Amino acid sequence: MNAPNSNLGATRWIGKRVPRKEDPRLLTGRGQFVDDVTLPGMLHVAFARSPIARGRIVSIDTQVARELPGVHAVLTMADLAARPIKLLSFFFTEAEVPITPLADGHVSYAGEPVVLVAAETRAQAEDAASLVEIEYEELDPVVTIAQAKVAAPIHPGVDSNVAAEIGDEEVEDELEDKLAGSALRLSHRIVHQRISQSPMETRGVLASRDGPEELTLRITCQSPHLVARWVSLALGLPDTAIRVIAKDVGGSFGLKNHPWKEESAVIVAALLMGKPLKWIEDRYEALTASNQAREAEMTLQAGFDAQGRLTGSHGIYDCNNGAFPQGADSNIAVHMFVWAAYRVPAYAFVSRGWYTNTNGLAAYRGPWAMESLVRETMLDRAARQLGIDPIEIRRRNLVYLKDQPMVTSMGIPLDDITPGECLEKLLDHFDMAAFRREQAAARAEGRYLGVGIASYVEPTGSAGSMAPMTGELAQVRIEPTGKVTATLSTHSQGHGTATTMAQCIADRLGVRYEDVTVFEGDSTRGGFSPGAAGSRQGVIAGGAAIRCSEMLADKVRTLAAHLLNASVESVVIDEGTVRVEGAPEMARPLAEIAAIAYGEPDRLPPGFESGLEMQFRYQPPPMTFTSATHLAVVEVDAETGFVKILRWISSEDCGTVINPAVVEGQISGGLAQAIGMVLLEEMPYDARGNPQAATFKDYMLPSISDVPTFEFVHANTPSKSIGGMRGVGEGGAIIGPPTLVNAIADALTPFGELGDVVLPLTPARILDVIEQRDVSGFYAPEPVKVEAAVAEPVAAAPEPVAEAPAVPSAGPEGDWNMVLKTPMGPQAMVAHFDIEGTALSGYLSAPEGRQDFAGGTVEGNRLRFDLKVEKPMKITLKYDLEIGGDSITGKCKMGMFGSAKVTGERA
Amino acid sequence: MKPAPFDYERPSSIEEACRILSEAGGGATVIAGGQTLMPLLNLRMSQPFILVDIGRIAALQGVTRVEGGTRVGPMTRQADALADPVLAAHLPAMVTALGHVGHHQTRNRGTVGGSIALGEPAAEMPATAVALGARLEITSTRGTRVVDAADFYIGPYMTALEPDELLTGIIYPDWPEGHVVLFREVAQRPGDFALVGMVGAAVVEGDTLTRVGLAWFGMGPTPVRMRQAEAALTGASLSALDPRAMAELAVADTAPFDDHHASAEYRRTVGRRIFARTLREALQLREAA
Repeated sequence: MNAPNSNLGATRWIGKRVPRKEDPRLLTGRGQFVDDVTLPGMLHVAFARSPIARGRIVSIDTQVARELPGVHAVLTMADLAARPIKLLSFFFTEAEVPITPLADGHVSYAGEPVVLVAAETRAQAEDAASLVEIEYEELDPVVTIAQAKVAAPIHPGVDSNVAAEIGDEEVEDELEDKLAGSALRLSHRIVHQRISQSPMETRGVLASRDGPEELTLRITCQSPHLVARWVSLALGLPDTAIRVIAKDVGGSFGLKNHPWKEESAVIVAALLMGKPLKWIEDRYEALTASNQAREAEMTLQAGFDAQGRLTGSHGIYDCNNGAFPQGADSNIAVHMFVWAAYRVPAYAFVSRGWYTNTNGLAAYRGPWAMESLVRETMLDRAARQLGIDPIEIRRRNLVYLKDQPMVTSMGIPLDDITPGECLEKLLDHFDMAAFRREQAAARAEGRYLGVGIASYVEPTGSAGSMAPMTGELAQVRIEPTGKVTATLSTHSQGHGTATTMAQCIADRLGVRYEDVTVFEGDSTRGGFSPGAAGSRQGVIAGGAAIRCSEMLADKVRTLAAHLLNASVESVVIDEGTVRVEGAPEMARPLAEIAAIAYGEPDRLPPGFESGLEMQFRYQPPPMTFTSATHLAVVEVDAETGFVKILRWISSEDCGTVINPAVVEGQISGGLAQAIGMVLLEEMPYDARGNPQAATFKDYMLPSISDVPTFEFVHANTPSKSIGGMRGVGEGGAIIGPPTLVNAIADALTPFGELGDVVLPLTPARILDVIEQRDVSGFYAPEPVKVEAAVAEPVAAAPEPVAEAPAVPSAGPEGDWNMVLKTPMGPQAMVAHFDIEGTALSGYLSAPEGRQDFAGGTVEGNRLRFDLKVEKPMKITLKYDLEIGGDSITGKCKMGMFGSAKVTGERA
Repeated sequence: MKPAPFDYERPSSIEEACRILSEAGGGATVIAGGQTLMPLLNLRMSQPFILVDIGRIAALQGVTRVEGGTRVGPMTRQADALADPVLAAHLPAMVTALGHVGHHQTRNRGTVGGSIALGEPAAEMPATAVALGARLEITSTRGTRVVDAADFYIGPYMTALEPDELLTGIIYPDWPEGHVVLFREVAQRPGDFALVGMVGAAVVEGDTLTRVGLAWFGMGPTPVRMRQAEAALTGASLSALDPRAMAELAVADTAPFDDHHASAEYRRTVGRRIFARTLREALQLREAA
């Protein structure tokens, strides 16, 4: 922990397991969620949704629905079009394909909202929605990644189902040589099922138009500030006209980062109707119509020398983006972090996100978690093949503190990661040799125990590289009463930020925790921040609260020194009392000093600003790493294939721990979700694109009996951020899955190699290994449905680049409208080319600015040039473009991130 | 998730309930504990014109001893049945099975008769009624008839109950004191419907099995009575019993299905195993070499 400031009082609040300030309210049913708010004249919304995954809307008849008692409006997209709204990604970028609040002419997934009904009660709204008559011309849907790869595009106007792409398909010779020359070359594949984020509080919004275009939103979200900014940009309204309130939120896990189709439809309808509209998603809608997450496949190749040291690696990742992802995503982070904690000489990859006729992709706790799952399960598989202990193979490859500073093969600088140290600390708490004896004895009795370990690092507290990922503002006041209030842009969906931030403030201000109240959950409180996104609040807002409180304490000390005729250095604030060292008789309650600061300006030092108020916006280091190693012990029932978790130890390093109970709660919650993903949860689709788990009977969340009592070991290497904290919000969901899979694989070794992993590991899939036959039916050849997928005549194959006709209207010179498909979404720009002989110069211009380049080359239709950029990181972009008539195609190689696609047309 | 509009009736006698059902001409649905029906109503998968609440009909409640058996009123809450001393003494297999029905909270509302009349093929109560040889008393304005539980189930959620009929009693025949309970359920989480489950009772006299009743749940479109295994076991000598061979016979009558939780092959494979193990453990058979 950071050395305390010498002027700090004796009482420490950081590090204490204090009771949460939120709990009395939440545990006595006094939480205030969206559905708890009722406004005068408020109407309730229900949607008529598409029953098919893909089709053309032939007709919509709303007349019968409209005539039902209590119904105020039955709106289609044609009605909502009167108030345009642009659905943006988390990065505030526009999608490549048009995304409308309600379906516009065609439907692209089962459950897509088509008609919005507003009525006096929810029941009336549902009655009316069920009477809307919609006629469809059904088309064959594209459901799986495999189908998306061969099918015609599901969206009109795009040339393939690739929603996002980065990296290079080909393994370059140098890497290929490394892999080929390895003692072991292993290819390991993970098929990750689709997940429903399933927050306890489903999505919901209450939108009310208060002025001509003033909007108040009560919406369940991850940051009222982010939603206010998103809505302002989406509607083209000044953000002063928008207030977003979300006092309590019952979980989100990435789903509620920002509004999506239904919320946008309600917002637009409320603006058009001028009446407060409430929509609360029911559980059926939540499971079948909300965005979903995770469905992805990855094949990781790696080479190992005979001692198990990595020689090189290559990864291929594909993820199902659904029809309308909340940001088309090829998940670059998977590749950035797959080997971040390991010494690998070289790594290359290709990554693609695919459009399908399924619910759109949204974030889920640790969206890049595939990297840890594929790597850690592969390491165990390699260890078994090489005859090396799984602990040993990690020791030989992990980056320890002694190896740092260093830069990973993907260019990430490391100076304080500790996964190896977490591993060693963990092993102090677990007698591996004794376990192996117990395991051997159990096997002799027909009981199959297994142990799994997994290590990882996690990027947390990111700030400064992407539009929404800003610093955090803390505003702290000592009120005239001596009580302390703070307004922060933190937001809790269960995070307990009102508790942890109060601890930071109490600790550094020298007041009692009970005397600090933190206000959050309202976009009119505090300054902009994205709230809970990327395990950042403890790191950044914690740092802001600490520094702001220290600055305020200094102000108190300056005033007290003046009033008490003492030196500033001798003044200490402790437990709400201001003392002068060595002069106990001069102690004064903080309230007395505060009353003077506000009410008796004559007694203040010259030039002293009256009042005791302070604010500080903290801009932390760009990224702060958290490290951990986990261990699980399981028993597999060889008769039924059931897995019982016997023990689970988390050894994590999240730097300074503000509140151990909150940290352990975060890790436990993530681990519960990990257990769900490995053993239980799955959102399957049938061949017609219908989601199959429509209730919690079929969507199996882990219950309390499926989750063991976790044991915790904390390593505490302070980070370089103020306060020394590291983020801990997502880690459990990232490191949990490989830990559990490895334990199961270890238990199954007497029967065979678990091999490639298909999640969830249902009892049937575990029997596949135990019996070495296809009990689950998963491996039975599926009827090939390619025909149906390809036969779709909607979109013609992309036009071959004009070979014969099209006399180019001009050469490459001049302006081109170009789109670069970056990992954060398509980026539109204007390219300008000037040519002299074979020399190319010009500029690229986007709303963010213009960049000139020179030194490029022209060879026939081929243009090549380099561009150095600073954001989001220092990198040289190498453009390689081909002009065909009035269109442009090509690639942009972005350093170690591989290539991104470029398309364009003459301006 | 709000139900479609319906009328609500709460009769206070069986006669009144039957009259409402008769007059509704198929448009009425009976609600007992509502633990399945309420979600179905909210999902609009069930849209009756009239909901007939039988919760206030005293004659449908409670457990009584009758000639040669025990009569359970269909409105008896599962939690009450679980704690009932008469059931504990006479029908230990049913009490064991009840402990696996839903969750503590749902058993406070859920009823024995509601579960039996619903006919969920993976539920415990229908299979238990089949295994123990229960007879179901069914009443309408046309009179009263008695149907064997084994003949009651037609398909998933489909039973012999006509739209105007009400289940008014479940009569479980006596099994002699000291009979053996055979029960095993494999479910992914406690309280889930079974991937595969078995329930039954056996009477052992000396070395001989003199009476056996067995049924599967989660192994077909209805609870599945293990007729072949029952026949082979009845009269068999414990010392000569081959549990694995019996398990083969037991799964022979089943028609399990594939879903995303488990394959039919899984259900059969694990069904055989839990059958053999339950037989061995309950009858204290020596391990076959």
